[in-house]
Amino acid sequence: MFESLLFAMLAGIAIGCALGVVFHRNPVHCALLLVGVLLSVAGIFILLHAQFVAALQVIVYAGAIMVLFLFVVMLLNIKGETPLLTPGAAKAFGFLFALIVFVELIWTAVEPAPEGQGMPQALPLPSDFGSPAALGRVLYTVWLYPFEITSILLLVAVIGAVVLAKRKFF
Amino acid sequence: MAPTVPLVWYQVLAAILFTIGVVGVLVRRSALIIFMSIELMLNAVNLSFVAFSRQHASMDGHIIVFFVMAVAAAEVAIGLAIIVAIFRNKETASVDDVHLLKG
Repeated sequence: MFESLLFAMLAGIAIGCALGVVFHRNPVHCALLLVGVLLSVAGIFILLHAQFVAALQVIVYAGAIMVLFLFVVMLLNIKGETPLLTPGAAKAFGFLFALIVFVELIWTAVEPAPEGQGMPQALPLPSDFGSPAALGRVLYTVWLYPFEITSILLLVAVIGAVVLAKRKFF
Repeated sequence: MAPTVPLVWYQVLAAILFTIGVVGVLVRRSALIIFMSIELMLNAVNLSFVAFSRQHASMDGHIIVFFVMAVAAAEVAIGLAIIVAIFRNKETASVDDVHLLKG
């Protein structure tokens, strides 16, 4: 009961803030509302026994990525656009395609599975589920090579960002 | 301890957040807001992964979320550098004003 209440509250905050991100005029407010979404999703992660991922979400997303966003917003001094939305037929098509995507996603979520192929009942969790130790054990054994490749990706991203920021293009 | 919130509710929430992100990418004109909408979509997918991970009592979904976060961080660093470079040259951050490929 308590869990359902908490879920409903966090989901409501997340959806409200997400709508704010998309429809607010001031980019700074959009960024701060996005922090609201990220924090409430982190709360939902904790409801799902994913404590470490929730901590990562707060540190990496709400901490690092959003600070980067706010820096760029203030660096560029972007005013709210006028008009807010893209004009003409593109807007109508945008909403139409979004509606199609939404119906499709909801349908895949709620359609009844064929006989004998449904999702099994939630399995009982091991005691250390979601802890850094359990995640590290899987990450450094089964997923070792993807993990190492990620480090190369981040290195390339850092070099690319420096190069892009330094030189003059166009 | 059995979960009291069924899996389908997490998926519906993820679908709603993803759709809001899609709307943001399709109808907004500021490149920054489009980027934020992409983060919104990535988060919706992360939520879905974690919910399935809980259902199967397997840590693999958490690992995927870890990788998604790493890729998102790289993407934001590069993307914002590109936006800054465009702004320095064209004095705009609106995707409608960047149409050099239009011929």
